Amino acid sequence: MSVQEQLDELRDRAQGELDDAADLAAALAWEKAHLGPKGDVTLFLRGVGSLPTEDRPLAGRAGNALKIVLADLFEQRRATLAAHDLEQRLAADAIDVTLPGRPPSLGAEHPVSQMIDELSDIFALLGFQTVFGPEVETARYNFDLLNIPADHPARDVWDTIHVESPGELVLRTHTSPMQARVMETTQPPVRVVVPGRVYRYEAQDASHEWMFHQLEGLAVDRHITMADLKGTLTELARQLFGPSRRIRFRCDFFPFVEPGVDFAVDCALCNGKGCRVCKGTGWLEMGGAGMVHPRVLEGVGYDPARYSGFAFGLGIERLAMMRSGVDDVRAFAGNDLRFLRQFARAA
Amino acid sequence: MRVPFRWLSEFVDTGLTPRELAHRLTMAGLEAEKIEEIGAGWDKVFVGHVDRVERHPGADRLVLATVRAGEHCLTVVTGAPNIAAGQKVALALAGARLFDGHSETPTLKTLKPGTIRGVRSEGMVCSEKELGLSDEHEGIMVLEAEAPGGVPLADWLGDTVIEFEITPNLVHAFSILGIAREAAALTDQPLHPPDAPNLTAAPAGPANLVEIEAPDLCPRYSATVIDGITVGPSPEWMRRRLELAGVRSINNVVDVTNYVMLEWGQPLHAFDIDNLAEGRIVVRRARPGETIQSLDHQQRQLTPDMLVIADAERPVAIAGLMGGVASEVTDETTTILLEAANFDMKSVRATGRALKLRTDASVRFERGLDRNLVPDAAGRATRLLLDICPGSQVVAVKDVYPRLLLPHDLTMSFAEFERLLGMRLSESDVLGALARLGFAPHLADDILTVTVPTWRPDVTLPADVVEEAARVIGYDMLPATLPSGETAPVRRDPLHLLAQGVRRTLVGCGAFETVNYVAVGEAQVRPFTDAANQQGFLHRIDGAAAIRLRNPLHGDRPLLRTTLIPSLLEIAASNLKHETGVRLFEIARAYLPSGDVLPDERMVVGIVIAGQREPVGRFAEPGALDFFDLKGTVEAVLTRAGVEPRFVPTTHPALHPGRAAVVLVGDSEVALLGELRPDVAAAFGIEADRVPVAEIDLDTLLELAEPVSGVRVARFLPAEQDFAIVVAEEIPASDVETALRAGAGPLASGVALFDIYRGPQIPQGRKSLAYRVTFTAPDRALTDAELERVRDRIAKVLKQRVGGELRI
Repeated sequence: MSVQEQLDELRDRAQGELDDAADLAAALAWEKAHLGPKGDVTLFLRGVGSLPTEDRPLAGRAGNALKIVLADLFEQRRATLAAHDLEQRLAADAIDVTLPGRPPSLGAEHPVSQMIDELSDIFALLGFQTVFGPEVETARYNFDLLNIPADHPARDVWDTIHVESPGELVLRTHTSPMQARVMETTQPPVRVVVPGRVYRYEAQDASHEWMFHQLEGLAVDRHITMADLKGTLTELARQLFGPSRRIRFRCDFFPFVEPGVDFAVDCALCNGKGCRVCKGTGWLEMGGAGMVHPRVLEGVGYDPARYSGFAFGLGIERLAMMRSGVDDVRAFAGNDLRFLRQFARAA
Repeated sequence: MRVPFRWLSEFVDTGLTPRELAHRLTMAGLEAEKIEEIGAGWDKVFVGHVDRVERHPGADRLVLATVRAGEHCLTVVTGAPNIAAGQKVALALAGARLFDGHSETPTLKTLKPGTIRGVRSEGMVCSEKELGLSDEHEGIMVLEAEAPGGVPLADWLGDTVIEFEITPNLVHAFSILGIAREAAALTDQPLHPPDAPNLTAAPAGPANLVEIEAPDLCPRYSATVIDGITVGPSPEWMRRRLELAGVRSINNVVDVTNYVMLEWGQPLHAFDIDNLAEGRIVVRRARPGETIQSLDHQQRQLTPDMLVIADAERPVAIAGLMGGVASEVTDETTTILLEAANFDMKSVRATGRALKLRTDASVRFERGLDRNLVPDAAGRATRLLLDICPGSQVVAVKDVYPRLLLPHDLTMSFAEFERLLGMRLSESDVLGALARLGFAPHLADDILTVTVPTWRPDVTLPADVVEEAARVIGYDMLPATLPSGETAPVRRDPLHLLAQGVRRTLVGCGAFETVNYVAVGEAQVRPFTDAANQQGFLHRIDGAAAIRLRNPLHGDRPLLRTTLIPSLLEIAASNLKHETGVRLFEIARAYLPSGDVLPDERMVVGIVIAGQREPVGRFAEPGALDFFDLKGTVEAVLTRAGVEPRFVPTTHPALHPGRAAVVLVGDSEVALLGELRPDVAAAFGIEADRVPVAEIDLDTLLELAEPVSGVRVARFLPAEQDFAIVVAEEIPASDVETALRAGAGPLASGVALFDIYRGPQIPQGRKSLAYRVTFTAPDRALTDAELERVRDRIAKVLKQRVGGELRI
């Protein structure tokens, strides 16, 4: 058999075997048998040197050509088989995607915390710093400096829980004491909000709690006006309840503001037309506000002829109730997980 | 304050419906809390005339009344004792909706014709109770003779009662007339006050009829002596108005004093002058030891700082609060001394507080009544009494007014309106609004002078005048602007930021945030108290120094908490009734005695977990939550806060003695954690075997937290090596790790414990801890030789410090 015939026969055999290789392992075995260090093509080429001299050039060229052809064929076959093999593995790896997922364990922030953080962020954008004050307060800060003297019936508006002490100490009835504390230690301009717990001696029912949260706002500077108060509260209402909300002022009395108002937002549910949620009035009361009383400014050493300011108070639970449709304020300190779980997604 | 609309309408005609007027007044500062329509349900009830009353043929106690109302003429069977021919009555026809006269609670029933003892009754003559006017059901309601027969009862008696909340600053609007004045000002309509004749023409009486010994507490006292009085029931119309206003009718004399108080805001009192020693009044401070039996039949001890009305001998009334029984007007009374007076507001308030007494009179005096209201109220009451008691006459009038009060002027710049409101008001709007409210405004060269009437003690400052004008003109006119001017950059409060970060970390660890009440009681504190009465959890205080509430809402919880754990345990217990596992936390204050005026309010985090680790599910890891679940969470929080904690075994009266650790950062105790003793858990109603709890002090954490700095990204591949270290059983893992880290030196960037082995391959009483240590160098790849040296050093340090040996 001539060298050429020998190689032709080798090529036909190898080709046939490669076509028969059913999987990647067979293909790799084929490569080893033919092209590996002990493969027959390799051995042939290694044996070229021992051929008669006249046959060597032909055998070398043809042998190398065959090696290239077979390597090419192998690569094609390997790629085909590898792709097939991958598909098979993926098919075997299929799952029922409708089974429940592996849940990460997640809790939830309390709705009151969520509301305080949200308000704090909104007011930060409006230039208000968030500060905190003591919950056990002196009567001086809780009442006297807020123009609520002991001998005036206005003092009775706050049903107060007293703390045993030689002086008059109370659980703060509102976040307003921080008005005086902040102004005593800073010069205008002042822009702060004060979130926190407040306490009243009050029987508990669906709309009354003895412990709840407020957020106090205070802005004092030259040229602060009641229109600024309305604008600030309008901005707040729009951030919380939607871009077309409006604020309504109603004359009201709080000893530490004059003029004093309570403020309401038009009901987002009915657009102010009147519905079940706003009890047909079209308005939802949000809190009390007004221009800081001149006697409060004087009490902290500010000149009321030079400076003016506004103050407002919001009920945190009330806002959360308006936002989330909670109808019983006791749920907030009830801490039933079936309640808290619903606040796992941001409100 | 309850205001019947018809009464109000006598003084002002606003042209508005009751609801419209209520809204206008509400927006201007007089909040209408409730609107009650009287007679709204009186369909088929008419003013009837009793033509005839005959005996019921079959019953002694019943009568047959023939009652006519327009075209209706009915026979009615009734047992009412007071029915008589010629009366005007309320006649209900079949189908009328009436309250059940015999029911304790208001119950509506539809009237049906019926047969009573053989006689058919086609309708009913109603009592006040059946009409919902009062609780009176003794007899039928008899209407005035002039009531127009045949008209629907609602036209004659129907009314709307508006209930206003009168804020404590308002004294001028604490009366029907005062509210009428507000309504007139808001709607720009004239006010028609009732007739209040001047009594100064009456005889002066004896010179010592009234003596004021304490003019500082009684600026004015007027006495009107009226004789020929016949005490009896008041006229129908007056009784009805008082009922609508929420005042019970007593007799004509007392009713007149109440009627005028409601109408004018000035409390009055009538004494039976025959029961006043020497028939005269002395206004003075009480003498030591004096007592009085007040009209509520309480014997009251008086003190010398209290103002009393006395006769020649003893106190007969507590000034501004309540009269005394001894001089009370009775059915036998024929001559009265009518008091209209003004008392110091602070004195009335202080006396009321001391005696724990609040009355319709005292709530008015406390607000600072107008001294100049006295003669009008006295005149009005006298006029009514003379009308009601024919034959009565004024025999003496004495008005002692030692401290005259005149209107005062308030001067301000007109620019004040714009400075406070942020918009310009028209001069004519402002002057008009103020004038309608009874102020006398005068504007010259932008200087506004306002004469403030004496009935407006609440108006003392320019800001008050601004509010008066603005509330009449209406706040709707205000534009919405944002504050201008410079502000300091907003800085976030570091403690708030830390709390926020901790909160989010805990939520990420699967915990739910709670908000709990701050008051606890002995029962909650006891398990957290040791033999030396030290109580608390992370922060322990002397139990005797605990901060107490004087009037806690719940009497069994008078203490401000020093730890959040008891509250969380209560919440855990209630949730475990419907949950298999709970992870709860709270971020709030612990109130610690400080020795200063205010307590030390420390911000702490409390965490309680209990029950099953995972809810049922495909991936659920079974098992109960334990110490290590909570420790991992605490570690996450501390990592988030930027500190490196050490956990050191400790003890606490509420904690499992072998499963408690205090957490140190440097030398500071930042946290305490452990599993609750089972008996303590049981005391809180938690049945879980293990209840891990922890408390972390955020204030301390904030001081210790180190900011992130010197961050570098390693450029060379790390090398990992495992060390199995055999040590004695009693050596804590933290000591082994400390030694391992010391031996490994700065190249060790990570150390993780991954196995604990006890068994045949190591000696009895020893354990093998397997750590994987990650080595990195910032500037080079580590060589095997280098790692070999480190390994030798680790072996040496372990041997020295913890008696440990490397197993591999």
